[in-house]
Amino acid sequence: MFGIENITNNNGWAMAVVGATTVFLGLVVLSFVISQIHKILDLWENRGKRHAHPEKPLKDKGPAFQEQRLPTASELCSIYTPLVGQLKEPFQLVQLFEKTQEMDLPHPHLSIKYLQEAEILVAQGDGTFIWDKQKAN
Amino acid sequence: MLDLFYQFITNTGYYLADYRHVIMIIVGCIFLYLGTAKKYEPLLLVPIGFGILVGNVPFFKGFGIGIYESNSVLHYLYFGVTTGVYPSIVFLGLGAMTDFSSLLANPKLMLLGAAAQMGIYFTLLGALFFGFLPKEAASIAIIGGADGPTSIFLTAKLAPHLIGPIAIAAYSYMALIPVIQPPIMRLLTSRTERLIRMPLGREVSKKELVIFPVVGVLLCCFLAPTALPLLGMLFLGNFLKECGVVNRLAGTAQSAIIDTATIFLGFTVGASTQGDVFLTPKALGIFCLGAVAFSIATASGVIFGKIMNLFLKEKINPLLGAAGVSAVPGSAREVHVMGLKEDPTNFLLMHGMACNSSGVIGSAICAGILWSFFI
Repeated sequence: MFGIENITNNNGWAMAVVGATTVFLGLVVLSFVISQIHKILDLWENRGKRHAHPEKPLKDKGPAFQEQRLPTASELCSIYTPLVGQLKEPFQLVQLFEKTQEMDLPHPHLSIKYLQEAEILVAQGDGTFIWDKQKAN
Repeated sequence: MLDLFYQFITNTGYYLADYRHVIMIIVGCIFLYLGTAKKYEPLLLVPIGFGILVGNVPFFKGFGIGIYESNSVLHYLYFGVTTGVYPSIVFLGLGAMTDFSSLLANPKLMLLGAAAQMGIYFTLLGALFFGFLPKEAASIAIIGGADGPTSIFLTAKLAPHLIGPIAIAAYSYMALIPVIQPPIMRLLTSRTERLIRMPLGREVSKKELVIFPVVGVLLCCFLAPTALPLLGMLFLGNFLKECGVVNRLAGTAQSAIIDTATIFLGFTVGASTQGDVFLTPKALGIFCLGAVAFSIATASGVIFGKIMNLFLKEKINPLLGAAGVSAVPGSAREVHVMGLKEDPTNFLLMHGMACNSSGVIGSAICAGILWSFFI
């Protein structure tokens, strides 16, 4: 058998169309997938960085550095007087420091140094201190 | 004594030879000449040419000498062809030698490889039109893929009696690329189109190269599982090369293994062309249809390149479509040479290789699809 009849009888048209379409679609899909591989790899490799450095800044956070303001002398005295009241005079600075830690007071070293300089905490010369109530008031 | 001498004479090749053996021996010599003097695909034409010489030495049949006689040494070597073992091993080596980075850098070039496969299906219709049986027509059509191992593989599965003519036709046309393709490319493109420059592709990472064979084997073989013996080995070879931890295996695959398979494949295919079996009207028909298949494949790729340019902002050089046939690296080299003739600073080789490698994948898928039609 020859000619168009042979093609038709042997399903030639269908084989040609299905075959050509299948191989073309297959390679189109493969081409699309391989064009995406590097993008997927980029996403995968940068996933850690994206979590560590979010692109959007957090609105609630202020500037990275903020000037710390110490309380005034009267504010410090009002905070520290009740603490000193719990200690038996003369006391060591370590004891006062421990009390500030218990109360979770901010920047205790700076505060105690300030109270010393203001002579509200008065050194006894043997490593102990007393609270000058007059100056504190 | 005279009787003994006469008996000896009647058993020699000189006495047993007829014109068909002489014709085939001349063909073998032409192959050897093209391979050695002209350097047209010498790795293929030299073993095939020598195989044709060996296969066409006439002998007294029945002594287990010829390739078609069971228990002969040549028959055992030919076993690798008829079972499709050699083509699979060649694909392993091919994968280990192929660098897919240019394809990964410019994936749209894969479409040109797909378009060039249209030659296969046009030839399928042509072969049926001229009265070939469906399985024979499918085996002849695959010549349009311009891939020798794939043609042999499919023919071994569908029409083993045609392995000789089809293999010779496929390899002949692969070797004759410098003769067949340029006129078609020139005819279908304008000078302006041939001058189009291709942009340099992006840099492809090592991870992409490692992932590609895994993605490739899964996508292609799920689509056409019958292509597994070819594509499975192709992508395995490529994975060995790219993963970087089995360099010894990759090195062996791309040298000793593929070389051994190529020698035995070429030699036994050549030896299978015994004049009395080979020179038939059918074989002549196969040669004619093979030429048509190859030409249509080339033209399909070029025309599709022009069609793509209608839709692309960044135009591609339509010459690259001719490299969509899977004759690696012959057709890519031809595209490159023609590009250089028009503009000595326009280098198309790497882009051509991208189309070539997609052509290899495409023709193997086509072989799988055609085989699956007859399972």
